[in-house]
Amino acid sequence: MSRKSLDGKITRRKFLGSSAASGATLAAIGAGLPRVAFAADAVIKIGFLAPLTGPVAAWGKPGLDGCLIWADWVNAKGGVKIGGKSHKIEFVGYDNEYDAAKARTGATKLIKEDGVKFVMMLGGDTWPGVQKIAEREGMLFSTLLPSDLSPETKTLLAPCEVHPIYNVTGVEWLAENKKELKTAAICAQDDALGKPSVATYLAAFEAAGIEMVDKPEFFDPATTDFAPVMTKLLAKKPDILCLDTCYADYVHPLCEQAFQQGYKGQIISCTADFYQKIIEKTSKEFMEGFIFQFPDFDDPAMNSKGVNFVKPNEFYAEYAKRYGASEWGAVSWEYASIMDLWADAAARAGSADPGPVLEAMKAGGTGKHAFGDAKWWGKELFGIDNALVGDWPVVAIEDGKARIKAFKSIPAWWDKHSKLMIKHMTALGQMWNQR
Amino acid sequence: MWRIATRLRLLILFAALAVLPYLLSYSQQEIAVLLVINVLLVCSYRLLTLTGEWSLGHVVMMGVGAYASALLTKRLGVPVPVSMLAGGLAAAAVAAILSVPLFRMKGFYFLIGSFAAGEIIRLIWKRFTDPFGGPKGLKRIDAFPNIDFGFLEIDFYEPVNYYFLALIVVSASLYVLHRIERSRIGLTFHAIHWQDRLAESVGVDNFRYRTLAFVIASFFAGIAGGLYGHYVGAVNPTRFGVDQMVYVLVWAIVGGTATLHGPILGVVVLTVINEIVLRGLGLDTVRPLIYGAILILSVLYLPDGLESLGPRLRARLRRRGRDPAAAGGRAA
Repeated sequence: MSRKSLDGKITRRKFLGSSAASGATLAAIGAGLPRVAFAADAVIKIGFLAPLTGPVAAWGKPGLDGCLIWADWVNAKGGVKIGGKSHKIEFVGYDNEYDAAKARTGATKLIKEDGVKFVMMLGGDTWPGVQKIAEREGMLFSTLLPSDLSPETKTLLAPCEVHPIYNVTGVEWLAENKKELKTAAICAQDDALGKPSVATYLAAFEAAGIEMVDKPEFFDPATTDFAPVMTKLLAKKPDILCLDTCYADYVHPLCEQAFQQGYKGQIISCTADFYQKIIEKTSKEFMEGFIFQFPDFDDPAMNSKGVNFVKPNEFYAEYAKRYGASEWGAVSWEYASIMDLWADAAARAGSADPGPVLEAMKAGGTGKHAFGDAKWWGKELFGIDNALVGDWPVVAIEDGKARIKAFKSIPAWWDKHSKLMIKHMTALGQMWNQR
Repeated sequence: MWRIATRLRLLILFAALAVLPYLLSYSQQEIAVLLVINVLLVCSYRLLTLTGEWSLGHVVMMGVGAYASALLTKRLGVPVPVSMLAGGLAAAAVAAILSVPLFRMKGFYFLIGSFAAGEIIRLIWKRFTDPFGGPKGLKRIDAFPNIDFGFLEIDFYEPVNYYFLALIVVSASLYVLHRIERSRIGLTFHAIHWQDRLAESVGVDNFRYRTLAFVIASFFAGIAGGLYGHYVGAVNPTRFGVDQMVYVLVWAIVGGTATLHGPILGVVVLTVINEIVLRGLGLDTVRPLIYGAILILSVLYLPDGLESLGPRLRARLRRRGRDPAAAGGRAA
């Protein structure tokens, strides 16, 4: 030991140096510690690869929050029983920032370093970065965006959200219940999420006999000023204003603009994430009757017989308690519902390995979707039957609260109007063989 | 003597870079690949800044290279190494065309003009689904072909192999950028930056030299794009948006642009902090906040960038050497 270190003097530099070193060591030790002290062989890790920061985080972070509730509940009951042995579930998150390259890095980390058995993704722009890894590693992935599905990747499933096909149910309900609405105008961000959704709404409006007053208004995802977009949309006085599948960051300012420009007609949108905040920015009256597709899970209709989601009202209450009711969004329950399917399939397969779980999940061509029993479907639209499709709720805001108006069948609509859907998807280059 | 010391330093640096991927985890190797590509992106950007112009379209030039290279392989079956080079040339060609209107502007106006030009290119990619794939972009882009020596097969899907490929390409590119800066052309770039009127008065064609800097910088950004596209396997217009450009600006500002190693320091330090340290500490969701704080602090306390740390430290040590009592008193 040098004399210098024995002289007992503590200089500012020494103090800062040793503090930094201790901090770094503690941090390194902390990072290396497991979050839950379960026996290593009884823990199954599930990957959560989605945007947790950035403009698309609203479709990632609330999902991870929901999964943590799911895991706490399942683990409190002893975990998932696979092959006669109980396994605790642990989620490993990775923020892909909605970037394909970061999604690739995240996928390799989750698979090769964390040893996950299943990876849940939002999909979209991030999926192409992961596709090759999924194919090479044979890992089971899920996406919320079935437009990611293709025959090349057999291990990618869309077991919860059949975006954007379920949007037809909202339009169908409007046509049945508000027959006076005859015209519509639509806008969407010009990206991989907006375009297939526009094609779906165009098909749904055509099927319902509702006329478009203008061509779809595609705006750049970098748009921050929505006044001109809204002015153009309202110029031809549509009965229905359709906000397509805009991100929450766009739905909110679009609604504000519609409110400020004096629009008093019907609004329909795929999502209305954090709608309480929209009401705060506009008014309860303005948002009355706003139609979208994602219910609050405290809705009494969620207790109806066909719904497979486990204890939806309690789930919503717990979510609201932990994160606040205004943080509830479209994806808060979706990843958790996928976990219900996965856990059921793993238990039946007697294994958590991707191959047997996939086989068990698709056995018999049907599955227990959150909103009711559904079938594996999608060959015509996605080239592979890897999307679980059944009923989907139509939700309206009434007196400041989201309420389910009906559960409507997507396959029933498809059986009647599939040609229209394929026509509009093809026109916008959104068929699987065009992508 | 100086040359020997420099060569020795470079030898040690390359030895460290050769060993580095074997000390990293698999996902960290993936990060290292992207980091090496970003080093080329930010260093090529610095070449443009030598003339005093800061562009907001440099990442779009990277995209031009990525799209061109991807399309050449997908549509025409051009071998990937050739298409990467062609991608660089395509970016250079686009830069040459854009320079005609852009270099009628200077300073802030050039900055805004370059942003507008970049947005036009991005809108073209979005608008024309054929051939650019529209908003979804291009996917399933051919990977760099595997090399089979019989006794040794190199699979470029593996990040460690692609890291070495990228390292070779980027090192060669940085050498060329360094030689350009040290040449008469580079000196002229500096002259245009600091005294453009004076340079013009002695016969320097500012427009031509600014164009040259823009074209060369775009060529290397295009090469970086090719490396990126054939590694990730997908490109889309959002990837080359202004958000990404902000990252390049931050790397350049935090690192400094006075020397070639300044922006390299910036991109390396910030990437390691952002992608490895903060993620490792489980701070995924607060990374943008911390990243922003680092940027503000570095601008406040290191206005000349990280590259100024070395000279500052050396100056301080020299002062200490001359006056040990005073230096010791300050330290205590």
